[in-house]
Amino acid sequence: MVRLSWSGFRERWQLFVGAILSVAVGVALVQASLQIMAAAGDPPIPEGLDPLEEAQIRDNYDGAATLMGIAMVIAAFLAIFIVSSTFAFAVAQRRRDLALLRVLGARRRQLRRLLLCEGVLLGLCGAALGFPVGFAAVRIQRWLLTELEFLPDGFATPWAGWHTAVAAGTGLVVALLGVLAASRRAAKVRPLEALLDTGRAGRMMTLPRWIFGLLMLASSVGLFTAARSEGADTDVAVATSMGLAITGGLALSMLSPLVVPLAGRVLGLLGAVSAVGRLAEANLRDGVRRSAATAAPLIVLVALLLGLAGSLGSLAVAAGEEQQQMIDGDLIVESTGARTEKLASLDGVAVVSSQISVPMIVTITVDIGDPEELEEEVFSSGIVAVEPDAYRRTHRQEALAGSLDELSGSAIAVTTSPGYRVDLGTTVTARVLEQVSEREFSPTVVAVLPETLSGSDGILVPMDLFTPEERANWPAHAVVQLEPHADPDQVVEAIRSADLGVTRSVEEWASAQTAEQQDENVGVLVVLMGLSGLYAAMAVVNAVVISSAERKREFATARVTGLTRQQVVRSALIEAWAVTAIGVCLGGVIVAGTMTGIAGGIERTLGAAVVDVPWELAGAVAGGAFVVITVATWASVRAATRIAPIALVSARE
Amino acid sequence: MLATDHAAVELRGVTKDYGRGQARVRALDGVDVDFPTGSWTAVMGPSGSGKSTLLHCAAGLERADTGQVVLRGTEITRAPDAALTELRRADIGFVFQNFNLIGSLTAEQNVALPLRLAGVRVSKREIRATLTSVGLGDRARHRPRELSGGQQQRVAIARAMVARPPVLFADEPTGALDSSSARVVLDLLREMVTDTGQTIVMVTHDPLAASSADSVLFLSDGRIVDRAARPSAKDVADMLAGLEDGERHGREA
Ligand SMILES: Nc1ncnc2c1ncn2[C@@H]1O[C@H](COP(=O)(O)OP(=O)(O)OP(=O)(O)O)[C@@H](O)[C@H]1O
Ligand SMILES: [Mg+2]
Repeated sequence: MVRLSWSGFRERWQLFVGAILSVAVGVALVQASLQIMAAAGDPPIPEGLDPLEEAQIRDNYDGAATLMGIAMVIAAFLAIFIVSSTFAFAVAQRRRDLALLRVLGARRRQLRRLLLCEGVLLGLCGAALGFPVGFAAVRIQRWLLTELEFLPDGFATPWAGWHTAVAAGTGLVVALLGVLAASRRAAKVRPLEALLDTGRAGRMMTLPRWIFGLLMLASSVGLFTAARSEGADTDVAVATSMGLAITGGLALSMLSPLVVPLAGRVLGLLGAVSAVGRLAEANLRDGVRRSAATAAPLIVLVALLLGLAGSLGSLAVAAGEEQQQMIDGDLIVESTGARTEKLASLDGVAVVSSQISVPMIVTITVDIGDPEELEEEVFSSGIVAVEPDAYRRTHRQEALAGSLDELSGSAIAVTTSPGYRVDLGTTVTARVLEQVSEREFSPTVVAVLPETLSGSDGILVPMDLFTPEERANWPAHAVVQLEPHADPDQVVEAIRSADLGVTRSVEEWASAQTAEQQDENVGVLVVLMGLSGLYAAMAVVNAVVISSAERKREFATARVTGLTRQQVVRSALIEAWAVTAIGVCLGGVIVAGTMTGIAGGIERTLGAAVVDVPWELAGAVAGGAFVVITVATWASVRAATRIAPIALVSARE
Repeated sequence: MLATDHAAVELRGVTKDYGRGQARVRALDGVDVDFPTGSWTAVMGPSGSGKSTLLHCAAGLERADTGQVVLRGTEITRAPDAALTELRRADIGFVFQNFNLIGSLTAEQNVALPLRLAGVRVSKREIRATLTSVGLGDRARHRPRELSGGQQQRVAIARAMVARPPVLFADEPTGALDSSSARVVLDLLREMVTDTGQTIVMVTHDPLAASSADSVLFLSDGRIVDRAARPSAKDVADMLAGLEDGERHGREA
């Protein structure tokens, strides 16, 4: 049986190249991620750091480890997807061989084992290839994470044998999981199929496919309804819509054998004027397995990538919008504590509210809903010292409980979160972490503030807790209201010449914050989704190459019938473009649903439906997909039509 | 357990329909026939008369709608898949016109395949000897695509010879061969019947091939219409021509 697997494997190695590569990349990524996670889990913390810096460094390491963990799961999941679609092809191509084995007395169990053996071989090849690639992958990921400032420069990631062992094991498991469905299908091939001239291709919409696809579709409808429902604020809408991007993409890719030909019919009504075009359109509907296999990864990629990018982007834009709505001021000045306090003395300035970032760790004991257990939440950023009166005059924000009026002396205002509840009167621990003024005190919660989208300025403490000397060099930003008849340009000029800081309008400041958030989003998306993009490209190329090789005889027949080689290539290209357009559009439908869901939530929270549709990214993905598919189709169809057609048409299997 | 006085394969009142409603075709219509152990029977008839269907039902590849098929003492029309698999391992061999061999295996690996599947060890020498006896001793390591159609056919016969199945089903085994290659194949089949007492059921269109068999069965519209023992090629051709004429008149009437 092993020998039979081996010979089948060797005979069809072209078919398996894509799957081997995707397992290899998966193994390499798992190895690299493990290496980084192991090193980041027990990181070298430099001596002599103050506790705040140490806390932030640890946070970054945790972030890096989390990111690597997610990347690993994505890689394994997508590799299973590619391996399983490759084997689905392999079984469809070999139905006659498999039936012949049954005729010659092979048991169902033996056919299943045959396929599983091929899966193991594929896993072994992938693991062997992935091992050296892993060392390159660890460099790339380390570089990326350093660029994104998760890891410090010169971070060392020592290799250990178990990283490779776990990675290779994952490769094998991935290959076996991928081949499982195909092996079950192989066992169902009836012996009689060996004798029939027209080997049945087997059904595309298998029962598990139906069940999983419809389940995902139902979840998508549910999530969309939840996102659009009255009670859904921005947080709920974003969470459900991101879920929708995932379930919707999976649903359409699972149901692609139904959806893609349907979309092809619609497309066919629009185009198909020339004979070549009509041939392409007929082929698209006829070659369901081929067009579905090409479109499915595109659907998932577009839905996931654009859906997530759009969600995060909209969240950032909405946060900016919320800041603009909340801040009642004319200018924002960014500088230090000492300098913002001088703003009030300038001509034309009516009110100044300085928000000074305090280097402090605040530990709050919160109620997480379990009466037995209280949890400690630790905050080390977003803690600002304010003048309560000025703050209230420049911020349209109502406390949910208590009042900012009482924010004086040993008092603190905190923001709620969906995860826990803070009661008024709770005593918290606050530790100021500057070498000169290190001290600890225990303020009482006097106000609970509503959650904001930006999450900035989450904890407010009264200014007078700190001496002017302490505050002098802490970073700060001030909201400035002008006198009714003051000339803003003059005030800006006065601030500039007195060197009191960088001045911007509220709008500019909010959009700068948005842009900063967006950059961070893009970085994280690059790490995670770049990977998915790579896999989607591999899956698409894999499907194109396999199906072109499979169509050798069909191409030859078309040429014997009178088409030139150019016409055959052109017809295949038109078909491929149509499939690409269908895949991108179907993914776009999901993205549209995601964005609509988010828009509703943002509108309910802010009164305006501000969303950020990632048009540039969409253009890049669609363009990239067209380029990849065009090149893959052109090259593989050229290769498949190299031999004189008559040799193929007359050849017997 | 085996009753040797039994026929190797018996069909009792076997019918088989394809399709439903308007498109319904009765491929076999109440077929009763015995294929005696150690005999070689040729099945003939016009195209579409049900020859292949008869073969498939007799071999358990297709289930008869009504009636019974008894293969070496086992009733197979209602046998579960596992039992049919065991039959294919131990009792039945196949040779067809096309698609006989696994493309990724060499000739000798193809020949050894049924025994390997059954977990029986075979010596390389025995495989080579068999391939030599069908005239392909020097092609053992060739893959099917490196062999001509007739050579592929002979590899399939070598495969049936090595496994020595008590019953061999063949569907147009000489269909694609020139007359001298066909002669070689027919001689090999004859050896199997006389030397090892195997039973052969062979569908053919070729009167010459049919005349090599012990008896010839004529099928028309899913029914057995005639049977002849050791007819000459000319007798067979005449009977066949009569049958086809009859069919044409029947259709015109
Ligand atoms: N799978 C099938 N589905 C529907 N009809 C079928 C099927 N297989 C065979 N038939 C029909 O059953 C009848 C008998 O077919 P069969 O293949 O047994 O003929 P045959 O005698 O072997 O013909 P030939 O000499 O052309 O091979 C034919 O009318 C055929 O159209
Ligand atoms: Mg036939």
